[in-house]
Amino acid sequence: MFKKLKKSRLIKEVAIVVLCTAVIVLGSLGSSQALAQKRFEGVEITVFTQTPPFIAKPVQMFRADWEKKTGGKVRLITAPWAELYPKMFSSFALGAKNYDIIIFPAAYLADFASNKFLAPLDTFIAADTRIDWLDILPVYREKISTYAGTIYAITMDGDSHMFYYRRDALENPEYQAKFKAKYGYDLAPPETWAQVRDIAEFFNGWDWDGDGRKEYGVVEAMRKGDQGYWTFFSRSAAYTSIPGQAQGLFFDPETMKPLINDPGHVQALEDWIKMIEVGVPGMINMDSGEIRGVYAAGEAAMAIDWGDIGVIADTDPGSTVKGKVGYSILPGTTKTWDYVKKTWVDFSEVNHAPYLAFGGWLGAIDAKSNNVEAAYDFLSYLGSPENSYICVTTPETGFNPYRKTHFEKLAGWYGYGFVHPEDYLSAIQATIAHPNVQPDIRIPGAFRYFEAIDAQLSMALAGAKTAKQALDDAAKEWEAITEDLGKEKQLKNYRASLGLPTK
Amino acid sequence: MRNIWRSFTGKKAGRAFLLPAVIILLVLTIFPFLFSLFLSFGKVSFLGGLKIHFAGLKNWLRLFGDERFYNALSNTVLIAVIAVAIEYVLGLGLVLLLNRGVKGSTFFRVLFFLPMMLAPIAVGYMWRMMFNPTRGPIDHVLPLLGLPAVAWLTEPKIVLYSVILTDIWQWTPFMILILFAGLQSIPPALLEAAKVDGASGWRLFREIIFPLLIPASVAAILLRTIEVLKIVDKIYILTGGGPGIYSESMTLFGYSLGLRAFDLAYGATIAFSLFATVLAISIIFLLITRRSQEISLE
Repeated sequence: MFKKLKKSRLIKEVAIVVLCTAVIVLGSLGSSQALAQKRFEGVEITVFTQTPPFIAKPVQMFRADWEKKTGGKVRLITAPWAELYPKMFSSFALGAKNYDIIIFPAAYLADFASNKFLAPLDTFIAADTRIDWLDILPVYREKISTYAGTIYAITMDGDSHMFYYRRDALENPEYQAKFKAKYGYDLAPPETWAQVRDIAEFFNGWDWDGDGRKEYGVVEAMRKGDQGYWTFFSRSAAYTSIPGQAQGLFFDPETMKPLINDPGHVQALEDWIKMIEVGVPGMINMDSGEIRGVYAAGEAAMAIDWGDIGVIADTDPGSTVKGKVGYSILPGTTKTWDYVKKTWVDFSEVNHAPYLAFGGWLGAIDAKSNNVEAAYDFLSYLGSPENSYICVTTPETGFNPYRKTHFEKLAGWYGYGFVHPEDYLSAIQATIAHPNVQPDIRIPGAFRYFEAIDAQLSMALAGAKTAKQALDDAAKEWEAITEDLGKEKQLKNYRASLGLPTK
Repeated sequence: MRNIWRSFTGKKAGRAFLLPAVIILLVLTIFPFLFSLFLSFGKVSFLGGLKIHFAGLKNWLRLFGDERFYNALSNTVLIAVIAVAIEYVLGLGLVLLLNRGVKGSTFFRVLFFLPMMLAPIAVGYMWRMMFNPTRGPIDHVLPLLGLPAVAWLTEPKIVLYSVILTDIWQWTPFMILILFAGLQSIPPALLEAAKVDGASGWRLFREIIFPLLIPASVAAILLRTIEVLKIVDKIYILTGGGPGIYSESMTLFGYSLGLRAFDLAYGATIAFSLFATVLAISIIFLLITRRSQEISLE
């Protein structure tokens, strides 16, 4: 009996000890987890980006969640597009530490990184289990987010120009027969810029979709002071970029001599000028926002734009072209100017050179920020595979796909309203993953160069100068800008932006 | 202590009370003004941090050799001269009509003032839509009237006049406002006396009303001229300065170079050249009007 009692007490005692130990261990685990979750209690980080909805919306969407999980606070400051660069630059240059995080256009990266304004992120990314860095497509993680071999930013948005066409027009058997009779080849999504001209001419100025109104051949952003120069470089890239050669789109990477007035660019500008007569009337004054509306209203057969026309055409309730839009990589050329040998090179197959116009939006941290860890944690949270997928498939975020997983999971895209998401995504993927893809200009003073060529392109489009005159004048201005900013430094920066060794 | 406060009267007290306002004025107006004047003789470098070096007359020499500057200057002056002249003539005509006690003049007075109350950006967007060649109402109506559609914002020879048209639409009410106040201040007895003496219609206007409206006219024209010389917002929305640079104004030129290209020193130089232009035109205008007033008094 006594033995039995002793045994049961022993079991009870052991059970109590085990229970207490379990409570203590689990309790301590819980409290350490809570501590870990609230590791930014009392920390306020300031995020600066563009006025909502576009680009600022993802911060608005995810900040409350991050605040709840970490105890930190996110203060969002926004400004219109034109004020972003001056405000960011002056905050950095004066050491004002106005913003911990900036979400900014990729073209600014070289300016900010070369001035050591941004915190290097390599060690953070290496230790981060959430960001899944290798899921980001190589061109963004290796080129767009880095400067001189160091990662300074986290990709938030994938941006590249792509080509749009109306399936109902180009796939119509009656139009196909008429087109072949007139031009001598099959009507199909254009492979070259010369074909774009023919197809635009064919569909210009008559009611080919039966809505009782005239439609036009093409719509492209040409407006001065907006995105016209990106459209131009999208057209000139294939005329000037030979596969495997160092970039021939902007400067000679050996001498820093501008290449924008070489025969390839002149040819592209002459092509572009000719599009005015086969485009939507008033196209010369249209910015990207306007061409998206025009295309969604069914006024043009073809268009060049970032991923946005695809989104608006299929998801905007006012769109008249839902499900009727086809997508492709930018057309190419059968001849390309070799800036090294100074001669045209003929291609038996079309030479494509898709252009990462603008390059997308990046998130980076002020090198002088007092809250680098919290700032990185918020950026990593915002750019994680799960949250970034929500961003790229939500209206008005302004973010386009840039991760492998964004292209693999189609459910979100169907939910977004896309009729043919697989076509849309494969056109973007074909662009980004193309071996001859051309990154945008990424050196200090990028927008000074853009402003100079923008005015000259506009003069040529208005007929005030020939293509050659305009580009010669732009090249002179580019040389003057390079001299002003320091030729050697600019050459070093340009080579660094292309991943070439310093001379 | 008491003595200090007692001595704190009269001019001393006045100066002390003025001091905060003077400090604010110095900090917010005079300092930025002098800083940007200094910038126009400097070179701003951002490589390796913000640095400003003295560059002598480099920016000014660049400006005087820049064809885009002369284009922007001539566009701006042309807009100012044509727009203000038409606004004044239209404003004066409408004021005289309203003053005659036309039926519903109170309603029209309110209606005429509406455009002036709109933000220039909103006016820009509204007119950009009106001028749209495929979806705008103007080019839709013109062919119905047997007239050809017009490329309002894309034809180099027309674009500046389209900008002027929008300015006239928005700012004629300002002329009406000032001139109406001037007209109301003319003593009715004076007009009655002139009528008793046999003056009527054109003579009454030419010899009594117009001369007495000159001070209000000078103020209205001067204020509008200064404002139009700084025009930027409407042009920015309507055309962005295009096609080419056919509608680029001085302020838009300065903005493009200073804040888009971030060439701050050159942007400051352009801003100061605009300031000098506004100052010169204002002085010339005041001298001419003063001289003509002296002649009419003689």
